[in-house]
Amino acid sequence: MAQKIVIDPISRIEGHLRIDVEVDGGKVKNAWASGTMFRGIEKILEGKHPNDAWFITQRFCGV
Amino acid sequence: MLEGEGLNKGFSRISRKNFLKYCSIAAATLGLPPTMAKKLAAAANADNRPSVIWLHFQECTGCTETLLRTNHPGIGELVLDLISLDYHETLMGASGKQAHEALKKAMAANRGKYVLVVEGSIPTKQNGIYCQIGGQTAIDMLKEVAGGAMAIIAIGSCASWGGVQSATPNPTGAVGVSELIKDKPIVNLPGCPPNPYNLLSTVMYFLTFKKLPKLDGKGRPVFAYGKTLHSHCERKDHFDAGRFVKKYGDEAHQKGYCLYVMGCKGPVTYANCSAIGFNELGVWPVSAGHPCVGCTEKEIAFEVSLYKAPKILNAEAPKCLDNMVVETFPVPGSVKESGGSLVGAVVVGAAIGAIAGYAGAIASKLPSKDDEK
Repeated sequence: MAQKIVIDPISRIEGHLRIDVEVDGGKVKNAWASGTMFRGIEKILEGKHPNDAWFITQRFCGV
Repeated sequence: MLEGEGLNKGFSRISRKNFLKYCSIAAATLGLPPTMAKKLAAAANADNRPSVIWLHFQECTGCTETLLRTNHPGIGELVLDLISLDYHETLMGASGKQAHEALKKAMAANRGKYVLVVEGSIPTKQNGIYCQIGGQTAIDMLKEVAGGAMAIIAIGSCASWGGVQSATPNPTGAVGVSELIKDKPIVNLPGCPPNPYNLLSTVMYFLTFKKLPKLDGKGRPVFAYGKTLHSHCERKDHFDAGRFVKKYGDEAHQKGYCLYVMGCKGPVTYANCSAIGFNELGVWPVSAGHPCVGCTEKEIAFEVSLYKAPKILNAEAPKCLDNMVVETFPVPGSVKESGGSLVGAVVVGAAIGAIAGYAGAIASKLPSKDDEK
């Protein structure tokens, strides 16, 4: 019987991460990593002047 | 010279000398007389560390980074010694279920007494599915944790008013904390990133006077956001004399002339960057040769091009500006500052009412004391 393990939130990282693991007989059968936060920066960049893009994309990650 | 001990609690590696230095800087940042540094130091040493729950939503962790990566040891360590940080996803050891339990435990143990720090904006579109922690949406988590909080500190532009992800067209409906929470005192510390000294000073003020500092119409402490950058900019003399940088790398740029023509938002940006600087070196964008981008102001940061300057509706602006081609943008809700000479984007009629309401809400929740005595 497969067991499902969910670790959410993953700490000590930037942003939000969730890990789903399927364990069967003490062995990992399948695993999924999901980023659980979306901001739509690509949509915001549409129509902006290329010279202004760095200031926005720089905000992806502050670490 | 200050008397007294260094910080004698926590696991601090901060020397007595540095501790007292930070107290003096905090007193100066707050606009308090130097003698108050002693009172701040005493309050910091009192056994009253408030429980703090720090939540992350739509954010880049830059606010946490700017606090922690200052010096070794530094202001970040001092702030962490002044508070009892009971939940912080970037710093805590626990993950998953254990992290969730730590949050529940901290909330139950200090219900009505903890301070909630929020980093990041909250997406509201499609019932908030764009940010989820442990299967709970950011909206639900914020409302649940804010319910037991004594006060809320919204750190950074994202938590204050939405930040970069709230820029047009705001795909996820990102908003700041004050859009969703109406029944708690909220201090906004916008900035991308905000200056850690403003967080330190807010915490020290709270520990010393047992209340929140005076706020402006946008919920920001007046001590830090009461004036425009321009009003105390190190390059203001160049502005007044009409000495402008017209191209990056030109002779004027090398000489450190005013960056207004290059699109500096300093005249309409309310913050104290030009007074206290960053990284404990006193540096800030303008000192490094780049115009202010207006990161504390919702209507400007991420909305207006970096290369457009705010239109100055002022007869006292240097005459040579009339003959120069400057790409400008109109300042939203602009009125003349009383007694000042520049355009203000902040003080509008509606905001003044909000200040009074705010002060009242805070005064009724927290014991009031006479600060400056």
